[in-house]
Amino acid sequence: MATRTVELEVGRNPEMVIDGRPALSPLRPFDVQEPDLGTEEMLINIGPQHPATHGVLRLICELDGETVMSVTPDIGFLHSSFEKLGEYRTWNQIVPLTDRMDYLAPLIYNCAYVMAVEKLMGIEVTERCKVVRVICMELDRVFGHLLWLGTTAIDVGAFTPFLYAFQQREKIYELHESLTGARITTSATRVGGMMADLPEGWLDGLLDFLEEFPKTLAEIDRLLTGNQIHIGRTQGVGVIGAADAINCGLTGPNLRAAGVDYDVRKDRPYYDYETYDFEVPVGEHGDCYDRYLCRMEEMRQSVRILHQAMARLPAGPINVEDPDISLPSKTDCMSDMESMIHHFKLITEGIPAPEGDCYMAIEGSKGELGMYVVAEEGGTKPVRWRIRPPSFVNLSVIPRLAEGHLVSDLIMINASLDIVLGEIDR
Amino acid sequence: MTDRPFSGLDAVERGPLPSDASATPSTASLDGTSDHPSVAGLKGRFGDAIQGHRLTAGDQTVVWVDPSRSLETLTWLKDDPGQLYDMMSDVTGVDYGNGRPVEVVYQMFSTTHKRALRVRCKLPLDALEIDSVVGLWQSANWLEREVYDLFGVTFKGHPDLRRILMPQDYAEGYPLRKDFPLRGRFTRAEQTRRALAQDVGRFYGAEELVEGGEPQQVFAKPASEAGEER
Amino acid sequence: MGLGDLLPGGGTQRSEGGLGGFGAGGPTFLTTKIDWVVNWGRRNSLWPMPFGTACCAIEMMAAAASNFDLARFGMERMSFSPRQADVLICAGRVPYKLAPVLRRIWDQMPQPKWCVSMGACASSGGVFDVYSMVQGIDTIVPVDVYVPGCPPRPEGLIYGLMMIQEKIRQESLAKHFEHRAEDPARVAEPEAGEEEIVGLTGPFGNSTRQEKLSDGGVVRAPDPGDDLPL
Repeated sequence: MATRTVELEVGRNPEMVIDGRPALSPLRPFDVQEPDLGTEEMLINIGPQHPATHGVLRLICELDGETVMSVTPDIGFLHSSFEKLGEYRTWNQIVPLTDRMDYLAPLIYNCAYVMAVEKLMGIEVTERCKVVRVICMELDRVFGHLLWLGTTAIDVGAFTPFLYAFQQREKIYELHESLTGARITTSATRVGGMMADLPEGWLDGLLDFLEEFPKTLAEIDRLLTGNQIHIGRTQGVGVIGAADAINCGLTGPNLRAAGVDYDVRKDRPYYDYETYDFEVPVGEHGDCYDRYLCRMEEMRQSVRILHQAMARLPAGPINVEDPDISLPSKTDCMSDMESMIHHFKLITEGIPAPEGDCYMAIEGSKGELGMYVVAEEGGTKPVRWRIRPPSFVNLSVIPRLAEGHLVSDLIMINASLDIVLGEIDR
Repeated sequence: MTDRPFSGLDAVERGPLPSDASATPSTASLDGTSDHPSVAGLKGRFGDAIQGHRLTAGDQTVVWVDPSRSLETLTWLKDDPGQLYDMMSDVTGVDYGNGRPVEVVYQMFSTTHKRALRVRCKLPLDALEIDSVVGLWQSANWLEREVYDLFGVTFKGHPDLRRILMPQDYAEGYPLRKDFPLRGRFTRAEQTRRALAQDVGRFYGAEELVEGGEPQQVFAKPASEAGEER
Repeated sequence: MGLGDLLPGGGTQRSEGGLGGFGAGGPTFLTTKIDWVVNWGRRNSLWPMPFGTACCAIEMMAAAASNFDLARFGMERMSFSPRQADVLICAGRVPYKLAPVLRRIWDQMPQPKWCVSMGACASSGGVFDVYSMVQGIDTIVPVDVYVPGCPPRPEGLIYGLMMIQEKIRQESLAKHFEHRAEDPARVAEPEAGEEEIVGLTGPFGNSTRQEKLSDGGVVRAPDPGDDLPL
């Protein structure tokens, strides 16, 4: 197996001690005897409406001057009860709900959900469908990381990477739109396959994107990676150790930046990921800078996977050819009685599931995305649909990461965790 | 209860499907063997605390554990060198409705042995409490709070058990229970009135930020008092 | 009956002279020119207050980015402080927990201000006819333009903002006190009255069938004797 660690030689600021606390606080005088002042801690509130919280998140901070003594996140400002709504929808009717949770990488959620349902029902999708879903998931990984890159850069004051990243995202929007008809809320998958096969010329469009994108990524890299301001803002900030990270449930680039090489694609592989040739970047310091490097490298590795997936895309049907699962084509419905009956039953009743439960974990762009579906015998709707959102658990770590840092570091830490409130609050 | 699926419109009208109380998905193979190494270890060590196990969705192992002994079982699963489930991926609840027990489900993964396991604990509706595992896995902190918020399960020993997704003074109940209607118990007008009567800053004085031991009970102020305050 | 009777002010307009003051009689030459200049200034330099919550916020960001570019409409500066903003763009779904925040932001904006409800969820609750979702922000804040879509394309948002510009073009300083009046006693109160909320947010379509409970019971408002957490 190829090596999994990507090392990068970057000059590190020697005055930042890597144990989570800055060695020299720029605001603390070191050669002046401070008078004994009676001070109180200040309680301030960041959000829920705030440009830098990446959504409707409320952070209640206790500050001693500019230093954060403790921070308590308050969530639930976007709670849309997807899970309860799912109990009133048939299996395929839930797919449009999944886009609206992680709206930054909707195809990943679409795929994760139907993968869980298919595993529960024991449906094996076609080879073409597997490769198309891998393409969708990796494309949306890049999509989600690009938004993270743009908004994190803009949080620390760099406006240009935001515009560059969004320009590239527009190209992916166009790909989404030609594949599914919608830019963000794609709803591309169905139980047993996809809503539609790849249109003509879509792969050429994807190839064009994959040729242009690395150049833009390299430009953003030039702007940020060696930039002393960026380094000063991110190195040594928000450090977490490996054992702590696993115990706290961190997953995804946040976990890998702490030195733990856990990637669901490698450790619990699905859809032949073990046959793709790619590396998983693993950091060592567990700070914001390593999380940044991990995500940048993940984008490059996703480009690699996409090239391989396009090369191995087989011909054949995209949907499972089982009339009790996939809708028959319209021409068949209009000419053949049996197809019409199957169509009618599938739309009005839905697909009956066997009794049981299934937890499907995949590597989403934010971390380990788990979908847990519980069904009862013959049920066309779930008894329970649970989403294990990576950002929910990632965000719970923020009090530990931000203690002792400055308020501006808190903003950077929040940005580096790559959270999306839609999936946290569900 | 049903021997055929409902038609779509019936299904929507009927709401979430109630479960047939007589058909139990659990204890399917109490004495059967399992390929999963943890199952054998658990049965050998804890005997009757293990209420059953089965294989579901092809290759996923589920174990039912007696909730009164869940903490010691999960501690063993975390610490024993042959098990080492160091990652608690998810803690959630399942309500089947119709008076059936609420189940708390733990999804665990071992990064050393690369194995996953699911542990389920059945809680009767009149005793919805179980030991908290926050002492073992910090990730359970928020996950258990969410189960408390949406199902009403009390986690004994949780350092900070209060609502997380719903507002702190949410008075309509526990939303994900099957007897909770989709659109809530109050009328929309009442929900709007209560929502705007919230003072979002009310719950976070400096002393309240210290993690407490009891689920914080907050009583919604009646409308007249709220009006006077403002 | 002459033409004069049909003019506002009952035909006395001419006799008051072309330089009549605001509010006295009808519009005059000077007031229309001043109106024109003021409205031109206002509509071409709107500073939006982006109250983005969910997917629509991403489309709003895309509308502000280079491909669709709100800056050419004068909306270069997204004002995140409501005190300096003109138009509140509520992009995304608003749960009841967020409702007081939205109302507070709206109250904090100084007049003249307008509101765009972007997306299906902000306009009517969208797909989420559930216990936690506000069924349309017009129950909370007065809305000028509704932009339908899930999410609306950036072009859709731009069209909505152009409609706001059109609305501003037709405003008149003479009606300033009428249009821009705000009652301080209504701060933090819902915009729509109770009956109006019930009328606006009643169930329709699928929601009419989703009020059943799994045990066949009927939804009812809670009784004082109910064991509900407070």
